[in-house]
Amino acid sequence: MGVIKDLKNLIAGLGITGKHLGTHAITVQYPEQRDKIPERSRGIVVLLSDKETGELNCTACQLCMRACPTGAIVVEFERDENKRKVLTNFTLDNTICCFCGLCEESCNFSALKLAQKYEFSTIGKEELVWDMHKLQEVGRDVPYEDKRKKKKAAPKKPTPKPTEKKPEEEKKPQQTKEEVEAQAEKKAKPVDKPVDKMEPKPEPEKEKPATEDNQPGEKPKAGEEPTEQTGGKTEQAGDDSKDDTKKEGSD
Amino acid sequence: MNGFSEFLELHPLFSWLYELLKSTGLQDPWLRVTHYSILGSMMFGVLSLIALFLVWWERKIAAHIQQRFGPMRHGWHGWYQTIMDAIKLLQKEDVKIALRDKPVFFWAPIVCFVAAFCVYVVMPFGEGLIVADLNIGILYVLAITTWTVISLLMAGWGSNNKYALLGGMRSAAQIVSYEVPMAVSILTPILFVGSLSMNDIVLSQTGPIYNWFVFRLPFGPIAFLTFIIAGTAEANRTPFDIPEAEQELVSGYNVEYSGMKFAMFFLAEFVNMFTIAAVAVTVFFGGWNGFQFLPSWLWFLGKTLLIVLLLMLFRWTYPRLRVDQLMMFAWKFLVPVTFVNLIIAGLFKHLGWYW
Repeated sequence: MGVIKDLKNLIAGLGITGKHLGTHAITVQYPEQRDKIPERSRGIVVLLSDKETGELNCTACQLCMRACPTGAIVVEFERDENKRKVLTNFTLDNTICCFCGLCEESCNFSALKLAQKYEFSTIGKEELVWDMHKLQEVGRDVPYEDKRKKKKAAPKKPTPKPTEKKPEEEKKPQQTKEEVEAQAEKKAKPVDKPVDKMEPKPEPEKEKPATEDNQPGEKPKAGEEPTEQTGGKTEQAGDDSKDDTKKEGSD
Repeated sequence: MNGFSEFLELHPLFSWLYELLKSTGLQDPWLRVTHYSILGSMMFGVLSLIALFLVWWERKIAAHIQQRFGPMRHGWHGWYQTIMDAIKLLQKEDVKIALRDKPVFFWAPIVCFVAAFCVYVVMPFGEGLIVADLNIGILYVLAITTWTVISLLMAGWGSNNKYALLGGMRSAAQIVSYEVPMAVSILTPILFVGSLSMNDIVLSQTGPIYNWFVFRLPFGPIAFLTFIIAGTAEANRTPFDIPEAEQELVSGYNVEYSGMKFAMFFLAEFVNMFTIAAVAVTVFFGGWNGFQFLPSWLWFLGKTLLIVLLLMLFRWTYPRLRVDQLMMFAWKFLVPVTFVNLIIAGLFKHLGWYW
């Protein structure tokens, strides 16, 4: 009778496999179908643009650059005539980025984010070093929560502060007002205009070759930059950050 | 309805071919030779297609049992994946190891391939769809399927590789052991037919469905069970696949083969599986007998594919037996059971309880 019992077990086994044969496969056919990525998953680092003006949110404060544990981010800037920082290049080396998200945490201006995108394979290793234009393009459609809005409103308050900072602070709102006016004009015109009107774009493009030339010898440069410029830059950056904190405090 | 299924019957094709050859003025020995060779090559083509289909089907069934999709890229659900695989295998280099036994190494896959296809000379695919109705048909089938042992031994010896040789030796031991219960369990229905011809076996099961030999209680189902177990072992399929146990012997007897020779072994394996299913259908499930609304060859094909499905389910359900368990099962369980079954069937026949 043991035989009959064994036979029953064998048939039960066949039943189980047969049942699985009937159920639908759980495989996701990747290029055609995609899994839904969790909202807070950390993908590529992208630069975020202002929703209204289409310009980069980055203020070249270099906090992300210093927060980056692998040194994947290099922020380059110049001083304009008003001694304000103007971002000239933002390089992200995707080959050494570890997607830790510390840059996103350190940023006070919603300038960058780890988007949900994860498809950026290329043929060459060099193509994985992205400059600010590429990062901006990729981050164009990434939704984000704008942390700066408080600060936009903040400068309108006439806060009595040390005289040195007054010109800067006065100019900021003026500029924004101009931008708003310009926008109002643009809104009447076709939507493509804002992208065209991004005047800073051509300028960095002129400078881009120079930075690209630098890239082969990037590592030493990255080392050099702090040594050469840290003295000035870090102090200035520090000033900025102090300013920010002061503003926040005043708010 | 009746006329439609008769319209789909293929046996007029065979007689029409014969008449066509006769009208060209061929004399008898050559007439028969050409007729048989044309039919044989037709059978070969059909079986190659069936083997390719079975490879695809097995992959799909394996995948769906494991809740995967399997091949999906070439055509609808990857239907021509195996054709692409075959083309790839044909293009590959035929690697020949230096220390091989040259003639043995060369002939092993050919023997395996030819043996796998030779069985179908006597297989009744449908009403009148039989290449040659030998009067020793089932004996011929048993004899030819045993060629596989020789080819696997040849492959194992010729490869000059200990894994391959071990695989060949194991397959020889296994197939020789399981040949006995297989033959005896086929003998049980033969007792009632009184003929070894495949056509006679099928014709004796015409009529109502309880004329099929599986439904002749109590010995019918037992004979079928023992046959399908022994047949699985004969076709080297998974509960009994010790000749090519991947975890023990790299890939068994075909380790050293590549390219087209490997493809021959591979296709022969699937043709062997189809053979087992076809013999099971012919002997136990009434062959091409069925109901009126479909042509006979479709009935045969459908039943055979169902048995093949059962063999595939076996493969993806049961774990492999150890060598000693395998031998013990064959000699201590299957052989006694089949012999007792045969004796019971003989008793029934003698007492006239069955016709």
